[in-house]
Amino acid sequence: MKIVVCVKQVPGSNDAKIDPETKRIVREGIKAVTNPFDTYAVEEAVRIKEKIGGEVVVLTMGPPRADIVLREGISVGADKAVLLSDRAFGGSDTWATSYALAKAIEKIGGVDLVICGKQAIDGDTAQVGPGIAAQLGWPQATYVMEVPRLSEDSIDVKRMHEDGWDLCRIALPAVLTVVKDINQPRIPTLRGRLAAQKIGIPTWTAADIGADSALIGLNGSPTRVVKTNPPPAREKASMKLDGTPADSARKLVHELRLRSLV
Amino acid sequence: MKKHIENKTYHVEILPPKQDTEKLETDLENFSVKFNRVMESGYCACLTDNAMGNLAFQGTEMIEELGLEPRKDLVMIHLNTFHTKGDLDRILDSCRTLKIRQLLVISGDGSDRLPKLSPADVGATDTEAVTSVELLRYIGREYPGDFELGVAFNPYEPEEHEFAKMERKLAAGAVFIITQPVIERHEVVDRLLAKYPGIPVIVEAWMSKKIDLLSEAVGYEIKTATDPFDPIATLKILHKNYLGCGVYLSLLGFKTQYDLIKDTWQ
Repeated sequence: MKIVVCVKQVPGSNDAKIDPETKRIVREGIKAVTNPFDTYAVEEAVRIKEKIGGEVVVLTMGPPRADIVLREGISVGADKAVLLSDRAFGGSDTWATSYALAKAIEKIGGVDLVICGKQAIDGDTAQVGPGIAAQLGWPQATYVMEVPRLSEDSIDVKRMHEDGWDLCRIALPAVLTVVKDINQPRIPTLRGRLAAQKIGIPTWTAADIGADSALIGLNGSPTRVVKTNPPPAREKASMKLDGTPADSARKLVHELRLRSLV
Repeated sequence: MKKHIENKTYHVEILPPKQDTEKLETDLENFSVKFNRVMESGYCACLTDNAMGNLAFQGTEMIEELGLEPRKDLVMIHLNTFHTKGDLDRILDSCRTLKIRQLLVISGDGSDRLPKLSPADVGATDTEAVTSVELLRYIGREYPGDFELGVAFNPYEPEEHEFAKMERKLAAGAVFIITQPVIERHEVVDRLLAKYPGIPVIVEAWMSKKIDLLSEAVGYEIKTATDPFDPIATLKILHKNYLGCGVYLSLLGFKTQYDLIKDTWQ
């Protein structure tokens, strides 16, 4: 089975600033990391490969330094990586990004399954995975929390929702977006990290993937971010819990549960 | 461990490189240099396990991948509860293969990225969370006789609670104790020694000049006799106060301090 995992480089900090002019995240000077949800996607792909064989290709679109997230994917078991990097991609919204990624997936060729994290923690749109499926004309399953069965021509997935889960069977090739309940991502070994440092990563431009210049970058983006504001600072509050230590502990757990913290 | 104390063998902490390091090659080289230096000195190299919850490479994989040669009974691996079952078993198997016998078993500091052992992973049925106690029992059961297991003692925690935990740790198979860093003398450590006279105790010496970091780590303001804090002078005082104990050197400066410790344990 040939699996492509789409990963994204996001700011590894809560202090990310937004450029008031471009409305884009200021990435300079901020350490970039792999979008946390994408680490679950990579892990699931590697687990499928370990179970039934095949190949895992990690794919990202971004500046040259985005190779870091591809190397992270290699370090935990992906076999190959592809970087889409071209000024022509600059300013792409989720639809134009989906188009570019879909064109790259077509160029990779012979792909049975595409896996993405459910969303990126910077944009929070959850649109790119479904966008790729739409661009490719493939079936999709979002919010996947388990892959209980896989065959050559179809896949069973559990889709998480507020009241539980749905069990769905979809034909391959297909696109999945996964939630963090699906697995526990492995931690890279030193051997994996060293191998990832040495691997050659091809960089593909818009021309390399045969992208229509009218469908990428700002020109190919039907949406515009017209205003962005950082969220208001969270208010600090304190609460005194009276009673015996056991009572206080119970109340503390209750309060934390009310806030979905435990 | 008793031999280490009799032979005045320092326990020297070495932190493996962090997973997110941007200078991996340099960090690996530095680790090798430190490890080999400790081996050549005849000290015991103590390799931490995701210290402070920071993702780092495992001590055993560092030794294996870098082709380092641990000397018999002169390497101690820290092992905490933030692992998958598969990784835990791999670490223990590697220790056995490398003939590393000494493990410091600790609950550890977690983080979002770190997995956590579940009670089922270690065959525990009487608890909702895995602590060093459950991990000790698991290692003792699955690797009988392979390891000499140590545990941590924190004199800054409420005393009654800490001694109750120590009873459970010893009952679970711990045979030596390493304290949190103490400066010159600590009355709770004195009581620990009085309570367990037959158990080897290694006191931890804080070798960083930044004493405020220790205060932050333990949650209490640490007062010192010397100002600014002098780790080497304090180490000498620690030796005088804890004659029958081993000494664990945390955050030792390899460039500036290493050569100075040679004659401090007389």
